[in-house]
Amino acid sequence: MTGKKALLISMLILAGMCVLPLGLGIYPQHVLIVSLFYVMMASSWNLLAGYTGQVSFGHAAMAGIGAYASGILAAKAGINPWIGICLGTVLAALIGLGLGALCLKMGGIYLSLTTLAFSQILHIIIVNEYDLTRGTMGLQVPSLMAEYDKLVYYYIMLAAAVLILSILYRMIHSNLGLNFRAVQNDELAAKSLGVRVLQVRVLAFTVASAMAGFAGGLYGHYLLLVTPEIPSLDLQFYVLAMTVIGGMGSFIGPIIGAFALNILAEKIRDYGEYHVLVFGLIALVVARFAPNGLLGLWKKFKPIKPIQAVKQKAFPTP
Amino acid sequence: MLAISVMNGLVIGVIYALAALGVSLVVGIMNVVNFAHGELYILAGYFSYLFASALGMNFIAAMLIALALVFLLGIVIEVTLIRPTYGNDMYSLILTFILSIVLQNAYLLIFGPYPNKPPLWVKGAADVFGLFLYGNQRLAALIAGVAVIAVVFFIIKKTWFGRIIRATSQDREMAELNGVDTTRLNMLSFGLGCALAAAAGVILTPVFPVTPTAGVPVALTAFVVVVLGGMGSMWGCVVGGLLLGLVENLGAAFISTGYKNVFGFIILILVLLIRPSGLFGRAKV
Repeated sequence: MTGKKALLISMLILAGMCVLPLGLGIYPQHVLIVSLFYVMMASSWNLLAGYTGQVSFGHAAMAGIGAYASGILAAKAGINPWIGICLGTVLAALIGLGLGALCLKMGGIYLSLTTLAFSQILHIIIVNEYDLTRGTMGLQVPSLMAEYDKLVYYYIMLAAAVLILSILYRMIHSNLGLNFRAVQNDELAAKSLGVRVLQVRVLAFTVASAMAGFAGGLYGHYLLLVTPEIPSLDLQFYVLAMTVIGGMGSFIGPIIGAFALNILAEKIRDYGEYHVLVFGLIALVVARFAPNGLLGLWKKFKPIKPIQAVKQKAFPTP
Repeated sequence: MLAISVMNGLVIGVIYALAALGVSLVVGIMNVVNFAHGELYILAGYFSYLFASALGMNFIAAMLIALALVFLLGIVIEVTLIRPTYGNDMYSLILTFILSIVLQNAYLLIFGPYPNKPPLWVKGAADVFGLFLYGNQRLAALIAGVAVIAVVFFIIKKTWFGRIIRATSQDREMAELNGVDTTRLNMLSFGLGCALAAAAGVILTPVFPVTPTAGVPVALTAFVVVVLGGMGSMWGCVVGGLLLGLVENLGAAFISTGYKNVFGFIILILVLLIRPSGLFGRAKV
């Protein structure tokens, strides 16, 4: 797809997304808002797992950092939620920088282990520090606007998702994105070509953490209640499943996965709390048999257009 | 207080060492971290509860069957999920993580959120060195844990199979050149790693009952122990496991019980800062 065509299609989709909630009731609007939160989470996680080959299990924890930082500042110190969200984003980025610098020099497995441990520890701290976080009861946080309106929240989340996606798109299609890919494909070869592997990895981890913190802050102020459910392994698993099922390492995959799975979750909820198990089984099958996700499957079975032969001059003979 | 905390630390430390040995064995040979390790630990607990409490079998028979079943399940997991990911460590991380969530939710569906507990092996309490009274079951768990660790050390250090395992974890290609069927070895050692998780499970569940998510902190501690001891080092697992068990219990007794599992994380950060290759690890080339 050429750049112009892609831009046109994304503009059309964006226009569609703008008018989509107008005719809908409050419940479908809620589902869309939550889906947009997951779009931000899955796409930024994809930057790590799909583009630089680092599997972080602390992405939900970073969203939790953003949500709790902003929530505590707003609820306890009366700071404007928008400033709180910015501070939460910065805090998540700093923690991401620290964790990344700490364990990435030892290789990918260490990052997975450390982020998993980190998310558990964060959970324990939140549950134990009742005075500050209200533990499992959840912390009530103020709304982003004077009068709570789902439609306004929808447009805020849409704008945030577009912002995050365009930053990601620019990053991936820049020289930096090439470095990300190089580090993922062959670390040693990338190193030999002068790519600073460690810095590239830590940078990707910091950026993704900041995005998760931002998304988490917005999400908390939308729900008006920040609970340990945000930095939980379940939410981490949703993000992972959405990315894996949609298509890891592709730009559109996680977006499709986030919408599809979140809407599917709402459907399954009619029958009971089976959606995690169902997602798990689907994700297991997809990760095992179609490692590039549904998008990869579609690409695989789509009839391939014959590539036009490039007219090339023969080697000039002296 | 101090003496009893040290004793508690030793008991849980031995179990940590056992769980960590399973992780370390698989990391050493396959460079795969099994994130479903804790769920297999829990599964063995459920099996021994099911066979001993619900079906009324002898507790030793129940434990042995639980071990065998988890060993077989480990082999099935290796063949169906791990084998296609050889050479791509990232996918094995993702697959085993998904597997752990699937298993947790399956347990929740089958057994419910309530704690379940297999019967005690022995009843009563014994006087330990005239210092304090200690539950016989915990003493039995300590002895059983040490015995299993001794058996594992014997297998790895003294038998032909152990020699193959050590050779392969040192240099895979060289082992292959000498006629080791590494695919089959992967399968067996993954099953053995799962069986070690199961051994930790059947030994500890009479003391600490099982719930669907009770495996997460144990597995996490096992991972911290593996990093602390040095990836792939067996003595590292034993020393690291005991150290972590002691630190957790002393910390819980003298600092805060709510933060029991946080001390392990602090140790993990210190290790990564000061000596990333772990206590007994070989420095990365």
